[in-house]
Amino acid sequence: MKEELVQRLAELAPKVEGFIYPNEVEIHWSILIVVYPYVTGLVAGAFILASLVKVFKVKELQPTYRLSLLTALSFLLIATLPLLLHLGRPERCFEIFLTPNPTSAMAMFGFVYAWYLMAVLLLEIWFEYRPDMIRMSQTKPFPWNWLYRALSLFSSDVSERARAFDAKALKAITVIGIPSAFLLHGYVGFIFGSVKANPWWSSVLMPIVFLFSAIVSGIAMVMLLYMIITPLRGKPIEIACVDRVASYLFYAVIVDFSLEALDFIHRLYESEESIGILSTMVTSRLFVSLLVMQVLLGMVVPLGIMVVIKLSKMNDELRKLLYFTAAILIQMGIFSTRWNIVIGGQLFSKSFLGLTAYKMEIMGIEGLLTALVLLALPFVILVVLLKLLPAWPGDEAASSAPPPPPVSDAGPAPAIAPAV
Amino acid sequence: MSEIPSPPSRIPEQVRRLGVVAVLMAGGFIVVRTWAISPEYKDTSLQKSEAVEREKAKPVHYAGAAACTECHEDQCGEQQLGKHRNLSCGTCHGALQKHVDDPLNEANRPYAPRERDFCPQCHAYDPARPTGFPQINPAIHNPLKPCISCHKPHAPEPPETPQECSACHAEIARTKMVSPHALLECTTCHTTLEEHKTTPRGAKPSRPTTREFCGTCHNKGTAEKSAPKVDLATHEVKYLCWQCHYPHSP
Ligand code: HEC
Ligand code: HEC
Ligand code: HEC
Ligand code: HEC
Ligand code: HEC
Ligand code: HEC
Ligand code: HEC
Ligand code: HEC
Repeated sequence: MKEELVQRLAELAPKVEGFIYPNEVEIHWSILIVVYPYVTGLVAGAFILASLVKVFKVKELQPTYRLSLLTALSFLLIATLPLLLHLGRPERCFEIFLTPNPTSAMAMFGFVYAWYLMAVLLLEIWFEYRPDMIRMSQTKPFPWNWLYRALSLFSSDVSERARAFDAKALKAITVIGIPSAFLLHGYVGFIFGSVKANPWWSSVLMPIVFLFSAIVSGIAMVMLLYMIITPLRGKPIEIACVDRVASYLFYAVIVDFSLEALDFIHRLYESEESIGILSTMVTSRLFVSLLVMQVLLGMVVPLGIMVVIKLSKMNDELRKLLYFTAAILIQMGIFSTRWNIVIGGQLFSKSFLGLTAYKMEIMGIEGLLTALVLLALPFVILVVLLKLLPAWPGDEAASSAPPPPPVSDAGPAPAIAPAV
Repeated sequence: MSEIPSPPSRIPEQVRRLGVVAVLMAGGFIVVRTWAISPEYKDTSLQKSEAVEREKAKPVHYAGAAACTECHEDQCGEQQLGKHRNLSCGTCHGALQKHVDDPLNEANRPYAPRERDFCPQCHAYDPARPTGFPQINPAIHNPLKPCISCHKPHAPEPPETPQECSACHAEIARTKMVSPHALLECTTCHTTLEEHKTTPRGAKPSRPTTREFCGTCHNKGTAEKSAPKVDLATHEVKYLCWQCHYPHSP
């Protein structure tokens, strides 16, 4: 272990410039910590998109509503994994909940997360899918019917009144959900923004910048997923829907861009003593990931694409292609944003006199492979979720094996429902 | 209150179902927290005070600069006014809690770094040190005498100021004077505005930034006859020349 460490340091040494403290040579918050805010951001963003349908009743977005919810859930389910793996003892995570420490911002994340998962996302999905689950519990073959019964918590009431209650509950949850999503991701920004000793992080704007980049990435992700999944289902992509999503994306990117620009200008104008090393870092170590990937490819180019689409009349196919490109660029851009914040914040010395370098592991628990697995996992979960909880009603009629008998909404409740 | 009859059917079914889940979870939490976790784990103040006790139990080594004022007013006062005012006494004299507790005990006599090799720990030339930090090359800077024979350790005097570059960069000028680069003007390598001499920080001279700069005289095949040649393409490509060759005394 020690030898390995020495060897790693020896490899790093030539990349170190100027004076840095010995404990700064190696970077400890690795790519996993980059993945963490990225994934959490997707959750918050996807949820905000779903809320647009429920709260603001944007009709065109209806095809993405359930997809957004399930996307949010699949990313949320792994959102804590990068942190837990990084900390090294994932099996102890429940202790955060059992022995809460209210003065630790890090520990409070557990509660923000739990609240968001249990009180917002799962509840919303449960209410949204309850009638469907009841229906499927009656139509699907064994053992699936039991699965749906359990998922619906043995609920059976599909009367008019019960459905009206579902709708009301959904609306209430969404209204609570929006501030919660803001809290979830604002929190991640808060953690970085409140590190007083690190001038690259310490900024009150941090939570807000995080939030808007989260919204951008979440919307872009749902748009991508919608554009990929729909053809796979053999359905046409509804261009009106994509247009609408893209236009929200457009405004979100503009706000995000302005906020980040504001942050930079503010730093430049303040010109605190750290500005020298920070500008050196931006123009050397972070040149590609910040100026090229984040700003140019991740923001300016997608914005340009969307402006061109808005200004010129082009046919649907070309438009879809351009949207798709823009969304992918945006994903890359937001990932770079996270990278620049997390890794960038550790590249310069606290002495402000030197820069170190980040050498990524490939294998290993904090390595590239783990990160890739963590990034792929939500998509696997999403596939499973989509199979279990079809996002587009009408789809599963074609796919499920036995022809579903007509189900009347007022159908008799199965006798298994326990009395509560 | 309990009189009000609320037939179960009035509460929507969903709420009842979710209620059961919520109650189960809350119950589970309470059960585990009440019975499964030992009290020490739950009591944060207990943990904190234990940690505080543990830390307090450790022996104190450093007295801190404030402790010295009481008995060594001279040195403390002198240091306050000198360039070393930001250094703590312990930086040079080491950990002195024992000395403070029992100053007359010979065994606790503080160490005073009178040797020559001590000061260069901070003052030897090192490219990573901030610009303007006073640096010398110990091999050339009056090598035969201990530093304290010329500089008061508690209040080192600033150098005197004659004219030209050497007025302010005497150390560098003197170093260069006896080095192979003696015949090069400072301005060969530093483009310097006249203003620099009146407002040094306002008009900073340039500094070489690339290997190629040194290559203009030292690369194989360049015109400068008297300069020894190396092949820039193979000679330590990964570093800047002055990471190895002090430019003022190469
Ligand atoms: C309680 C009074 C007292 C305090 C407090 C005290 N000293 Fe001293 N110190 C003395 C005395 C008395 C001597 C002379 C001892 C001798 O000559 O044997 C001395 C001697 C010294 C010497 C001389 C060693 C030498 O080789 O000449 C140094 C250096 C020194 N002290 C440093 C410190 C520093 C630094 C502190 C603060 C951490 C400090 N002292 C705090 C009383 C004190
Ligand atoms: C830059 C290093 C340095 C620092 C900082 C420093 N000293 Fe010293 N000190 C020395 C050296 C070197 C000597 C030996 C001087 C000599 O022998 O002439 C010395 C000698 C002394 C002596 C012995 C009496 C004398 O003057 O020879 C005392 C007492 C002393 N120091 C106290 C202090 C106190 C108190 C402080 C903090 C205010 C302090 N020193 C900070 C380097 C330092
Ligand atoms: C023979 C006396 C003498 C001795 C011994 C000596 N110096 Fe100096 N030092 C000087 C003089 C004189 C200057 C003023 C500048 C000049 O003219 O070079 C100076 C300047 C300095 C400077 C300021 C350089 C700058 O660029 O501002 C430092 C730092 C310094 N000396 C450290 C040391 C150290 C460390 C030692 C011991 C290794 C030491 N000196 C030994 C005489 C001496
Ligand atoms: C812990 C690091 C440290 C040690 C050890 C140290 N110095 Fe210094 N020295 C400094 C600092 C910091 C300054 C102030 C630099 C400035 O003003 O920018 C300084 C300033 C000086 C100066 C003033 C140069 C000028 O331009 O005015 C001289 C001379 C000097 N030191 C000599 C010494 C000698 C002699 C010793 C050994 C007894 C010594 N230093 C030990 C940190 C140190
Ligand atoms: C009046 C005193 C003075 C004179 C004369 C002077 N300098 Fe300087 N020079 C300074 C000071 C002070 C600094 C440190 C500026 C700082 O660190 O902010 C400095 C810094 C420098 C630097 C480093 C600039 C950097 O990027 O940090 C160079 C190179 C330099 N001087 C070259 C020269 C040359 C060449 C000459 C003669 C033509 C000269 N100086 C004359 C005071 C002077
Ligand atoms: C052969 C080219 C060359 C010559 C000649 C030269 N320098 Fe330099 N100088 C350099 C280089 C290279 C650096 C280091 C740049 C760095 O570390 O970033 C430097 C750095 C400096 C610095 C700032 C760093 C420090 O040591 O504090 C000063 C001041 C300086 N030179 C002054 C002078 C003066 C005064 C002269 C003339 C007496 C001179 N130089 C002659 C190449 C030269
Ligand atoms: C204007 C031309 C010129 C430039 C620029 C120049 N040098 Fe030189 N250098 C010389 C000459 C001439 C000599 C040989 C002088 C002699 O041996 O008498 C020399 C000698 C040397 C030596 C050999 C020292 C020895 O002991 O033999 C080294 C190493 C060196 N220079 C490094 C550098 C570095 C590093 C730089 C860039 C900061 C540099 N030089 C820039 C002209 C130059
Ligand atoms: C990693 C350290 C290192 C770096 C960087 C480096 N050198 Fe050298 N250089 C050496 C060593 C060691 C020698 C000793 C002679 C040898 O082994 O060939 C040397 C020798 C030389 C010599 C020949 C001296 C002679 O007496 O013939 C010149 C000239 C020279 N270097 C110039 C440069 C120049 C110019 C650069 C920048 C392009 C540079 N060096 C960068 C380590 C370095």
